[in-house]
Amino acid sequence: MRPLIKYIIMKVFFLIITYFVALIIMFILPRAVPGNPVQQLIAGLSTGATSPELLSQYEQALVRAFELDKPWHVQFLNFIMRSFSGDLGISASSYGESVRALIARHLPWTLVLLVPANIVSWFIGNYIGAIAGYKRGSAMEKASILVGIIFSQIPYYWLAMTLIYVFAISLRILPPGSAYDPTLKPSLTIEFVASMLRHYILPFLSLLIPAIGGWIISMRVLASMELGSPYIQFSDSIGVRDKVLFKYVLRNSMLPQVTGLGIQLGFVLAGQIITEQLFNYPGMGILLARALGTRDYPLIQGVFMILIATILLANLIVDFIYVLIDPRIRLGYRTA
Amino acid sequence: MDRLTLKNVSAYYRQLIVNKEVYVRAVDDVSLSVKKGEVLGLVGESGCGKTTLSKVMMMNINPPLEFIKGEVQLTRRDGEVIRLHKMSRRLLKNFVWGKNISIVPQEAMSALMPTLKIKRIAYDLVRSHDPNAKLEDVVERLEKRLEELGLPDYIADRYPFELSGGMAQRTVIAVATLLNPEVLIVDEPTSALDVLTQRIVLKTLADLMVKNIVDSMVFITHDIAIVRQIASRIAVMYAGKIVESAPTEDIIFNPLHPYTKGLIESITSLEPEVRKRGVKYIPGQPPQLINPPQGCRFADRCSFVMEKCKKEEPPLIKIGEGREVACWLYVKR
Repeated sequence: MRPLIKYIIMKVFFLIITYFVALIIMFILPRAVPGNPVQQLIAGLSTGATSPELLSQYEQALVRAFELDKPWHVQFLNFIMRSFSGDLGISASSYGESVRALIARHLPWTLVLLVPANIVSWFIGNYIGAIAGYKRGSAMEKASILVGIIFSQIPYYWLAMTLIYVFAISLRILPPGSAYDPTLKPSLTIEFVASMLRHYILPFLSLLIPAIGGWIISMRVLASMELGSPYIQFSDSIGVRDKVLFKYVLRNSMLPQVTGLGIQLGFVLAGQIITEQLFNYPGMGILLARALGTRDYPLIQGVFMILIATILLANLIVDFIYVLIDPRIRLGYRTA
Repeated sequence: MDRLTLKNVSAYYRQLIVNKEVYVRAVDDVSLSVKKGEVLGLVGESGCGKTTLSKVMMMNINPPLEFIKGEVQLTRRDGEVIRLHKMSRRLLKNFVWGKNISIVPQEAMSALMPTLKIKRIAYDLVRSHDPNAKLEDVVERLEKRLEELGLPDYIADRYPFELSGGMAQRTVIAVATLLNPEVLIVDEPTSALDVLTQRIVLKTLADLMVKNIVDSMVFITHDIAIVRQIASRIAVMYAGKIVESAPTEDIIFNPLHPYTKGLIESITSLEPEVRKRGVKYIPGQPPQLINPPQGCRFADRCSFVMEKCKKEEPPLIKIGEGREVACWLYVKR
């Protein structure tokens, strides 16, 4: 197993380097854009009610508080030091609330929405796609190609708006947005969970449906490629049952799809900016949109720091899952 | 006693060329029988319809291939005659393939499900024919079979990609014959292997016959030098038809059909007479099988061609004991 350990060390080493490069880019980019969080704040205050002197004193205090008077590399080092000891700083746009608390409040909502949507769409889409690929030339295949293309090409935001229009405005059977009834307090009561689920349906569907389409399309191609391979033909010609052949096809064409799912799950933390805005859903997407709009450096940094880490980690995990589920790769190490 | 009999079988590939339907006559009016205890070598150049004929023998007909006419019969060990051409694909697959007739395909390296161990592959096969089969019993049976064929029993616990080319080929043979089919078809089993491994694979195939694992074998190849080592009878195929069939020694030392003569002469071997005369080949190309020429299909390349050959197709006639040839040279006038 020695080469495997070497492989892991190499992987992790490059991962750390990639992480720091990504952090530097993420740190510089918002600062390269005109405007900074202090200007945004001051612009909001300068309505004439405060005197110019007070305003400029206030500005200087803020510049010092956010360390904008220091060169960027000093800011960066301070940021790294602080964040690795758990302090992500204070959000500039949220009245002094800490970045950590903001993320902790928004993250669960995003996870609850996006992780199930990703996983459910993966299973449904791949299963339909595999059947379609397996039953080449059947009506079922043609129907799933049609459904797959339509589903995957629907703009998800258009679907979201249509769903809101149909179910919330015309039929009035589901709420148009937000994660739960604002008159309720988040708790584990039946009433609250029921309200949450009612609010959950539309954003969930608006994410699920386009994703299913994409998986159907790609899985159909993979499955029909597997179907044409010699091992299926041989198994078929010695009388192995069709049910078993379908399992073979499913198993082997599923392998590349696992990678796709892993990478998608890595991006989950970014939230779904547009979907969350349309449904006024309090997830990471809304938080990120606000951070970017107000040049809230600490919030941008905090969100991206976690986001980049999960994306890289997801990639790493996918690599290892692949090794675990595909014996061709797993046992390759034995001989290499 | 015949194990497998083909009577006047034709199978064509349907093609669409600029909205016009054309048929490629890959197997055209072929009659052939394989007896119990016999290894039939089916020899011919690439594209002559050997592999298509192997599909017809199993009645494994998939579009664009179409079964046009003829009869395919298989006699089981218990004496029952199965008429394969009358059976649906589902019936064939559930009750005949793998059990009464089996095949070792050309691409042995990729013929085994790549992400399962050999024992699981064998289990899936046995379970398809006997739903009550238990994994332990199947593994035991597989290991016994591997041992009979001179393979190490640890192969059962390996994945297909962990085997070398020759090992994989022999493992495919072991899996294909796990249910002791009456007839085994092997399609170019040695073409991707080096000479030493070829010998081992041939030995494995011979073992199948010696140990009565299979009753009869059809050995498809383009290589007469290989097939003469194992076949008791050889049938020579040219452009979708059988042109000659005879016991191996007769084919090798006394070929009758001009095409067979050409094939024998083109063998590259170290035999002294071959070295003296140099390697020969048959000039020209086989005919198009979409619109095969009237008359003998070999006429254009034949050095003994006569007027009659271009007009009338020679029938496959019996010449002596167990010999058949389709050539006007041997038809008594």
